[in-house]
Amino acid sequence: MSQQDGAPVNSLKNRLAAAKSALADGAHKEAFLILTALVTPGDDFVNQARVAKLSLSINQTLLGLQPIRIALLASTTLDHFSDILRFWLAQEGFAADLWIAPYDTIVPTIMDEGSDLYSFRPDIVWIFTTHRDVRVDVAAGGGSEVQEVIAAAVATNTTLWQTIQHRLSCVILQNNADIPAGDPFGNYAGQVEWTRRNMLRRYNLSLGSAAPFGVVIFDLDHVAANFGRARWVDWRYWYHSKHAFTFDACGTLAFHAARLIAGLKGCAKKAIVLDLDNTLWGGVIGDDGLSGIKLGNGADGEAFVDFQRYVLTLKQRGIILAVCSKNEEENAKEPFLKHPDMVLKLEDIAVFRANWQNKADNICDIARILNIGADSLVFIDDSPLERNLVREFMPMVAVPELPEDPARYVQCIEEHCYFETVSFSPEDTERAAYYRTNAMRSELVAQFTNVAEYLRSLQMVSERGNLNPLLLPRMAQLINKSNQFHLTGTRYSEVELQACANRAQWLVRYYKLSDRFGDNGLISVVVHNGSIEHTVVIDTWVMSCRVLGRTMEEFIHNDIIEIARGMDCHTVIGRYLPSAKNKLVANLYSRLGFSQVSDEGGVTTWCLEMPSSPQPLETFITSLG
Amino acid sequence: MNDRSAIINRLTDVFHDIFDDTSIKLRDEMTAKDVEEWDSLNHINLVLAVEKEFGVLLNAAEVGALANVGQMLDLLVARATK
Repeated sequence: MSQQDGAPVNSLKNRLAAAKSALADGAHKEAFLILTALVTPGDDFVNQARVAKLSLSINQTLLGLQPIRIALLASTTLDHFSDILRFWLAQEGFAADLWIAPYDTIVPTIMDEGSDLYSFRPDIVWIFTTHRDVRVDVAAGGGSEVQEVIAAAVATNTTLWQTIQHRLSCVILQNNADIPAGDPFGNYAGQVEWTRRNMLRRYNLSLGSAAPFGVVIFDLDHVAANFGRARWVDWRYWYHSKHAFTFDACGTLAFHAARLIAGLKGCAKKAIVLDLDNTLWGGVIGDDGLSGIKLGNGADGEAFVDFQRYVLTLKQRGIILAVCSKNEEENAKEPFLKHPDMVLKLEDIAVFRANWQNKADNICDIARILNIGADSLVFIDDSPLERNLVREFMPMVAVPELPEDPARYVQCIEEHCYFETVSFSPEDTERAAYYRTNAMRSELVAQFTNVAEYLRSLQMVSERGNLNPLLLPRMAQLINKSNQFHLTGTRYSEVELQACANRAQWLVRYYKLSDRFGDNGLISVVVHNGSIEHTVVIDTWVMSCRVLGRTMEEFIHNDIIEIARGMDCHTVIGRYLPSAKNKLVANLYSRLGFSQVSDEGGVTTWCLEMPSSPQPLETFITSLG
Repeated sequence: MNDRSAIINRLTDVFHDIFDDTSIKLRDEMTAKDVEEWDSLNHINLVLAVEKEFGVLLNAAEVGALANVGQMLDLLVARATK
């Protein structure tokens, strides 16, 4: 700011000025890109606030952001946090409309049906509590009341959640308790169960277990710990204005929240594309040979092994792995096959691309084979040259600035919070295998001259049936995570989906698909509403994109007709509500022989009048049982 | 002791930034009433920017009391570390 200050401050000032002048020229995207390059989550409040404030002048519609309405309820002051939160949400693709409840009115705001919370109609209600809101104090020495006190503290929240869920269809974000840095018992507070520190720990565990579908715990304690407990609270501003966390934590907190919200909206990353030389091992396999690469021994070698272990844990939780390396394929695969310290095996990698073509093209190819958007990919490469090439040609791919030292690779990826999720099902652990067998199928297809012949060779079998409790979590997950093959964009919690199935004349169907390469798992859900006389309305139809092009749609279509006939219906109605991501199915009903009835601003309605004996569509899938 | 006029210049920059108004000229008797956007929210933004620019830590009572530019300058002349 002053002349005697060094260049960094001036350069921030200059970049802010550049953003302002871009804005004045109407170049909103350019201004936004300048601003996003200016701050990282860990930057101090003053810089965060300056950038966030300027970003308010950017027209979010011009950026193509998805609107989201978020209500913040807190017993502490959040006014300085909201602009920064909005800025970090914009970087995740959201145009956030934030509403902050009056200070310290969490309970009355939620309980009063007429409060502004309900007229605001938020997509997300963030109950921003801190440890100060949690009543778990017991007398020193404790006793039998410990359990009851914890249960009562958790129950306070469950009542509020139920009230909100009864009145609003939204996701609830609930903070857990940020455990204070100090405790009168010092170290001993970590030993016995009745101290405030351990009571809060226990409360946090119980709170997580108590959260039903639709309630997501925001791990405030984790954010506080990562930021540093000792500096998490600035007591001056607690006493001055009831700020519950230090201003300098605003960026970190906003970033974590924005990533989590992206995750719960289905926008988290799904796959990781890995370079090999100096990324998975030290050295260059083509030059150094199997015995020359650094893996297993020495500081570097151990770091590379640990990095591979970390990547493997990502795969085990459902992240797809791919390899993209400039190498001869045979050389590139050799360590996977022969090196004793290699943690990752070839079967862990869904798509393996080792060639001399440019990496942007290869990554594009990998996204196509996996049938996921390039915006779902993270690219990990030690070479700044390759990283910049991919950033330039595929700006939608996340490309972290990998540190030079392999010892910090894991930390670097962790800090970016790419893979936030709000659910986990056993299906997730199998996902990598689904994608790998899919890639094998797409290799096979090249051997066939016609598609029918190829599809027949797959020997596909589908198990279908009505909703059952064992499959309910996966069915709800599919409805809530699908974006591309999703005709209406409906979101149903497990409870709501079960409620659909319980309604008279409604039917909730699932479909699984397997073939000679393996099981694809539960890949489609259709919700039928047959409550209108002689008509079935397809309320919801989602399908996993990994089974596209296998005549699964036709198989399901035939099942829909069977169901309609079983309900004594002569008409099937389908609807398409366009979203940013579901263009893929805009013409699905047309393709299946439905006729368009109406088009209201892109929302199309389709109708299939069934003759007495409707012809099934051709499918290469046979029904199991 | 720090040089008062140098501090005035730097403080003026901070005011221009926080209130997004380069026409503001500081006077000792100036208070929140004289600057349109100087509300309680922006007061905190101002104090935080001042703390950072001058390398000082104000205590909670001082944060609330600094509603007058002259007092702010006195404090910075006495305590600024950069």
